[in-house]
Amino acid sequence: MSQMLDTSLGKSLIQILSVVIFFAIWQTLAEFGLISEFLIGTPFGIWKRFIASVMDYSLFIDTGYTLWEALLGFVIGTLVGTSIGLLLWYSKWVSQIVEPFIVAINSVPKIALAPIILLWFGTGLGAKVVLVVSMTAIIALIAAHQATKEADKDLQSLLYSMGADRKQIFRQVVVPSSMPAIVSNFRINVGFGLVGAVVGEFISSKAGLGHMIYNASSLYELNSVWVGLFMLMIVGFFLYHCIDSLERFLFPWRNDAGRTQIRM
Amino acid sequence: MVSNPLVQLSLDSIHKSFASKGGPVPVLNGLTFDVMEQDFLSIIGPSGCGKSTIFNIIAGLLEADNGSMIYRGNKIQSLRGKVGYMMQKDLLFPWRTVLENVMLGLRVRGEDDTNGVEKARDYLNTFGLSGFEKAYPQTLSGGMRQRVALIRTLLMDPDILLLDEPFSALDYQTRLYLESVLLDAVAKFKKTVILVTHDIDEAVALSKRVVALSTRPTIVKNVHQIEIERSSPIEARSHKNFGEYFHLLCSELDIQTRKDEVV
Repeated sequence: MSQMLDTSLGKSLIQILSVVIFFAIWQTLAEFGLISEFLIGTPFGIWKRFIASVMDYSLFIDTGYTLWEALLGFVIGTLVGTSIGLLLWYSKWVSQIVEPFIVAINSVPKIALAPIILLWFGTGLGAKVVLVVSMTAIIALIAAHQATKEADKDLQSLLYSMGADRKQIFRQVVVPSSMPAIVSNFRINVGFGLVGAVVGEFISSKAGLGHMIYNASSLYELNSVWVGLFMLMIVGFFLYHCIDSLERFLFPWRNDAGRTQIRM
Repeated sequence: MVSNPLVQLSLDSIHKSFASKGGPVPVLNGLTFDVMEQDFLSIIGPSGCGKSTIFNIIAGLLEADNGSMIYRGNKIQSLRGKVGYMMQKDLLFPWRTVLENVMLGLRVRGEDDTNGVEKARDYLNTFGLSGFEKAYPQTLSGGMRQRVALIRTLLMDPDILLLDEPFSALDYQTRLYLESVLLDAVAKFKKTVILVTHDIDEAVALSKRVVALSTRPTIVKNVHQIEIERSSPIEARSHKNFGEYFHLLCSELDIQTRKDEVV
């Protein structure tokens, strides 16, 4: 028995079983009136809301909206931040000058920028994308800059002794050796992308999962809130696994032990 | 063997000091020695005497404070781009396959790949690495990786090979094997080698000449001619003169250590 539970199938079974038990307890407590259906919702209620929002496509629209904001902002923010972070390697002088500014900007919780960003960029998609960019770019920049500092000095020396110029050292050593750390940081950043999109929608929006959650909670439709939350969880899960696959695809030379990840 | 070997590279009173909290620390204190054409020159000396610093200056990674280098009659700043540098770490690029790693030097020079690939495959065959072209370095053993590093060095066709304890991280068997691979390659491609080693046994078995350095601040103590006819490093170790040279060089270093204790 215990051997069977140590297999991956056994572990998956336990994981599924614990989720089922959790919902069963929740449902039972609500049936007996021990917890308030009005303030907490019920699994059956959530399921009904889920089916209804699938039937009228509103769930797909909201999910697509949020996913698009998060992804677009993440891609732009990551590209901009990573490029600047990498290029700072070229000039120690410039990087020493801008480093305190980077730290200063990073120490501001970017969420606090949300009201002015919405003021400047309106209530549409653009504002959410800008908010996500502001959250992800600085993190990508710091990750890339740090990674270039840690690029193997001996490999750089070797290339230099071969007669390579700075541009070749950048392209042949600094960028490729920084890439694993940069891509690994995508995991964190893609999560921040979702945070930015949802917070932007909380403040002002016409669609999206954040919009759905905010509206539903102000109307005490707790079941809808849960549908939104579970959808966000699925989206986050999906994005995390996309990054995982991307890593595998990009770095076939790395062994599994070298990867930082939580295995599910 | 050659009656009157020509000087290929001469270092003339090279000085180098490094900054530290207590002021500059002199490391090289007027280092002077010659490297002949097709020489196999080993540099031995107490640890910390700046053996690697000499290489870094020759390769252009560091600049000497003072002194000059003459290469085939011309004064030079460094031999950057003309040397093949090999270190204790194989320094293979983990994200490049074996073939891509050995092609690195040619690519840095901007040479056409097509000729290089032919040559690279030849080398890989000779060194028993065919079939591993597409493997990543981390799947290879230490000895194989160091062979790949050696091919990368040879493929660039450098004027001088700078070998900084290239085999010291390997087990003895692999080391003997790679020593003979190295000697064969050097003879075949008529290369000049400067080898930094702390291993006197290795220095005697491989070298035509050995430079013994003093403690820091470092000067050349002695240059020894090693008169051993060798066809392989293993055979050299059983040569009748081997023991004599071995003890001679040991005593060079022993005197240094005794001085160390006084200081």
